Amino acid sequence: MSAADPRRAAQIVGWFFILLAYLLIALIFLTPMLWMIGSSLRPSPEVFQYIFPLSWRTFIPIQFTLHNFADIFGISEQGRALGFQFGRALLNTAFVSTAVVGSSLVVNTLAAYFFARLEFPYKNVLLVFVLGTFFVPQEATIVPLYIVVRQLGFADTYWALILPWYASPFVIFVLSQFFQEIPKELDEAAIIDGASLLGVLRHVIVPNARVGLLTVSLLEFQFIWNLFFWPLIATGQKELQVIQVAVATQITQREIAWGRIFAGGVVASLPVIFLFLALQRYFVEGVALSGLKG
Amino acid sequence: MASTTATPSASPSWWTYIQRRKTRNYIFAALFVLPAVVNFLIFRYIPIVWAARASTWQYSLLGGYRDWIGADHYLRALEDPILLKSLQVTFLYVIVKLPLEVALALALAIFTNQAIRGMGTIRTIVFTPVVMSMVVVSVVWALILNADSGLLNAFLRTLGLPKQVFLSNPKLSLPSVITATIWKDVGFSTILIVAGLKGIPRIFYEAAVMDGANRWHLFCHVTLPLLRRTLLFVIVTQTIFSFQVFIPVYSMTQGGPLDSTKVIVYYIYQLAFRFQDMGYAAAVSMILLLILLLISVTQMRFLRSDVEY
Amino acid sequence: MQRPLRKNQSWLLVLITIFGLVLTACQPAAPAPADQPSSGGEAAAPASKEPVVLKFLKYADPVEAIAFAKIEEEFRALDGGKWSHVSISYDAVDFENLFPKIETSVAAGVELDLIQADGPDMKHYAWNQVLLPLDEYFTEEEKAAYAPQSVEEGSYKGVFYGPPFMQSCSQMWYNQEMTDAAGIQPPQELADSWTMEEALDAWQKTTVDSDGDGTPDVWGVRWGQGTWASDYEQGILRRSAGEKGSPSYEGMGPDGLTFQGYFDTPEAIAAMQFYQDMHQVWKVTPVEPIPNIFQSKKAAFVVYTDNLIGELNNQYPDGNFQLGLTGIPYFETQLCHTGSWHYGISANTKHFDEALAFVKYASGPEGSRIYYEALHQLPARLDMLNGLPEYDTYPQSLIKQGFEQFGIPRIQTPGYTEYQQVFAEIAQNVAAGADVAQQMTDGAKQIEQLVAKYKGWNE
Repeated sequence: MSAADPRRAAQIVGWFFILLAYLLIALIFLTPMLWMIGSSLRPSPEVFQYIFPLSWRTFIPIQFTLHNFADIFGISEQGRALGFQFGRALLNTAFVSTAVVGSSLVVNTLAAYFFARLEFPYKNVLLVFVLGTFFVPQEATIVPLYIVVRQLGFADTYWALILPWYASPFVIFVLSQFFQEIPKELDEAAIIDGASLLGVLRHVIVPNARVGLLTVSLLEFQFIWNLFFWPLIATGQKELQVIQVAVATQITQREIAWGRIFAGGVVASLPVIFLFLALQRYFVEGVALSGLKG
Repeated sequence: MASTTATPSASPSWWTYIQRRKTRNYIFAALFVLPAVVNFLIFRYIPIVWAARASTWQYSLLGGYRDWIGADHYLRALEDPILLKSLQVTFLYVIVKLPLEVALALALAIFTNQAIRGMGTIRTIVFTPVVMSMVVVSVVWALILNADSGLLNAFLRTLGLPKQVFLSNPKLSLPSVITATIWKDVGFSTILIVAGLKGIPRIFYEAAVMDGANRWHLFCHVTLPLLRRTLLFVIVTQTIFSFQVFIPVYSMTQGGPLDSTKVIVYYIYQLAFRFQDMGYAAAVSMILLLILLLISVTQMRFLRSDVEY
Repeated sequence: MQRPLRKNQSWLLVLITIFGLVLTACQPAAPAPADQPSSGGEAAAPASKEPVVLKFLKYADPVEAIAFAKIEEEFRALDGGKWSHVSISYDAVDFENLFPKIETSVAAGVELDLIQADGPDMKHYAWNQVLLPLDEYFTEEEKAAYAPQSVEEGSYKGVFYGPPFMQSCSQMWYNQEMTDAAGIQPPQELADSWTMEEALDAWQKTTVDSDGDGTPDVWGVRWGQGTWASDYEQGILRRSAGEKGSPSYEGMGPDGLTFQGYFDTPEAIAAMQFYQDMHQVWKVTPVEPIPNIFQSKKAAFVVYTDNLIGELNNQYPDGNFQLGLTGIPYFETQLCHTGSWHYGISANTKHFDEALAFVKYASGPEGSRIYYEALHQLPARLDMLNGLPEYDTYPQSLIKQGFEQFGIPRIQTPGYTEYQQVFAEIAQNVAAGADVAQQMTDGAKQIEQLVAKYKGWNE
């Protein structure tokens, strides 16, 4: 156990570098988040007061206050008077995101299975057709999409926020790639055992693509969660307002309520971050199969 | 796609089985994809066809349709210097951002995939920028990059380097936007690659280590080949997303200065919603569609794993 | 000019019906948003006391929302409840996205009743027949009750399209602690207002770099609200460079389409050069704007409207901010841009009478008073403006006098949106150090190309 043991020394150096990289990554990716949280806990005039010169004051509130949060949730007198309902907006967003991810898991998994496994003429062309749906920027299609949604009678309802997104080219494409990583021999074995195609999907594909399914669900969840322009166009009543739209309303023609914007930014991002954190354990134990590949 | 590369010889029993029930299976197979196709037809293809049609009209959102002008918008596009500039900016953006982001995501994925306590937390930390709203992100980056009082300039000064103008300097504005968007998006690619890494059976590493491979060999001969499909879809999807970058530019630089960050979707937005020229905006969108179609199909052909492992 | 407005969408219906049939099979029970004012069909009976919901598309502003709740309440109680069957459903979006939302709603044929329209956009909406002309419903007397600038902004080819909410005029505010420290006493009368050169001297004196690192702790000035560049504030510079009635002052040709010779005059270029030098040479204002710079005491002067009073009262409830006001500095002619938001009645309203009654009440004496009491913004109604004692005392007196003496509307053209977008880019480029003359001459050409489509609009 001498310190001169080269293997031991290399190990220590290795650990040191891992720790260093860990801290550096945390610093780079977390600093803006911490600044946002710090700013959300300041009274408005203080938000940009200490941004320069750089010091501990840049991040730590001097006059700590929870007022911004009390305002946006309509708990404080002022917040109530101004009619802020970020709580409602958060619930709306959570409901819509969950509904999309739920339906998307079924619809896109079926479609991804089709592309990964099933036999069909001109499947390549069909895949390009699927991917092609996101070759045109939303800015060019939002008006006709709104027309379609209106004609179907969904404008200004939850359906407007859910239905257009229940199938996703991104999810289908990525899932079908994950599915293709699963050895075909497993399907074959299941079919010989008498499983139907749906049975193969349920008992072979889905269990073996858990990590992939979880990942795309999470990405889709945050995608819907962060949608802004579409909810802004497609819904009008305040009862349907999603959180991103609610945060934007703090920028008015007369004034920008920075404190409330950052408080809104915090409550808009923390739920997704906690969700992500909670799901980490599935990533750890998620290793697919051991060695059946190839 | 890659699935069709499976040759009959790979698994004969599976194939004869399939052949026998071919027609029935086609119909059955179609049912799997039908719900998604219905969605795409209604919510994506009707709008795309609508945009294609609008591109042949003099059309503005407030004024409606005026005259049918056939291919005029497309002819105009050929001679539009701003469009040319925005295409250059967009290509530059994608060509610089994409490899950097994927390489960084790969490094972060491999780093955070180590069986060490705390790696789930750091993965979450890398993911936080993805869920931060762009309004907040753009304010934060504007403060970091501020020409006079920004964090980065304070840092440069401590190193004894001269102050730099970033966002309002046509030479550095695009690199600045690229840096900020890589920072914001890299977590997205990282968790996809992590998911891909989780799919690599440990036995491959064990076998390679027994053969005396070092870390670098493991990376080049085990990790990279087995991640090929994952990297393919990360690259394909990130290419499409990057080509359509808009909100970061809208909120950080408004396309400027001197059009140095005027990416194509920013130009489309400007045409449609500010210049009252939705018809031309639709034509430019169709050009973007063609570009993305060509690039995506080429990428999939190039990067397709021809070798089944 | 023939304009087959959005008639070409019927084919969509056919396609959608087909897909709709497929969908209905798997559709769960309908959601139940209790009242859905936007869905058509219920417009069949214009019976007098059927409940009517007016859909009002406007920008979000929580304080304004309080004012409107009150206005609506009073409106319903009017004339013994004549309009008690009317209620208003607000669709309020952040003001930056109001214009895109209006565009999208109009393009999709959404039935709207009321639209909150920015003054300079009124002509644009009128040209596109998005709003109904209200000329015959407003007597000359009623129109004369509003500031002439508001009537001009609300009119298109001499026809009145909508009354104003309020008015505005930017002046230069300052932080008195900072001017005192620098030994500066800004003029308190508009007649003594600083020229740009004099103002520059004050800005230079109030720019403080205590540690000498080249980055000031306090900047001399911020020209404009927010962190963006816009015609409302930066556009003042180029027009102020010309004498009254000169091409630079007018800002564009009388046809509303010509910009070469008006936008790119030597004086306008010199003014924008000055604007550039403020950032690049004298460094009295940061090249890249810092949010809230004046409110967080990081700048000594700011060019701003009278919103600032309310904002500072909010941010410093203990009155810990010594605010002063001086006239807006100028090159040749002192001026401020006026700006009102206007009530517009949508061309596809099915409740015109109710909408008109509401507009008249809200913009009338009572409605305007409720609005003012909530927001404390410069009233557009002259009787009210003249009746408010606070506008006779400093500092607000300067806002009122400035508005009356030299407040002019922004350039009046249906191509304002196009112009404003190009001008904002130019102002950004100029601040960043671009060649000013080239920016202005190229810009004039680009604007002319973009607005050529409105040729003949005012004939």
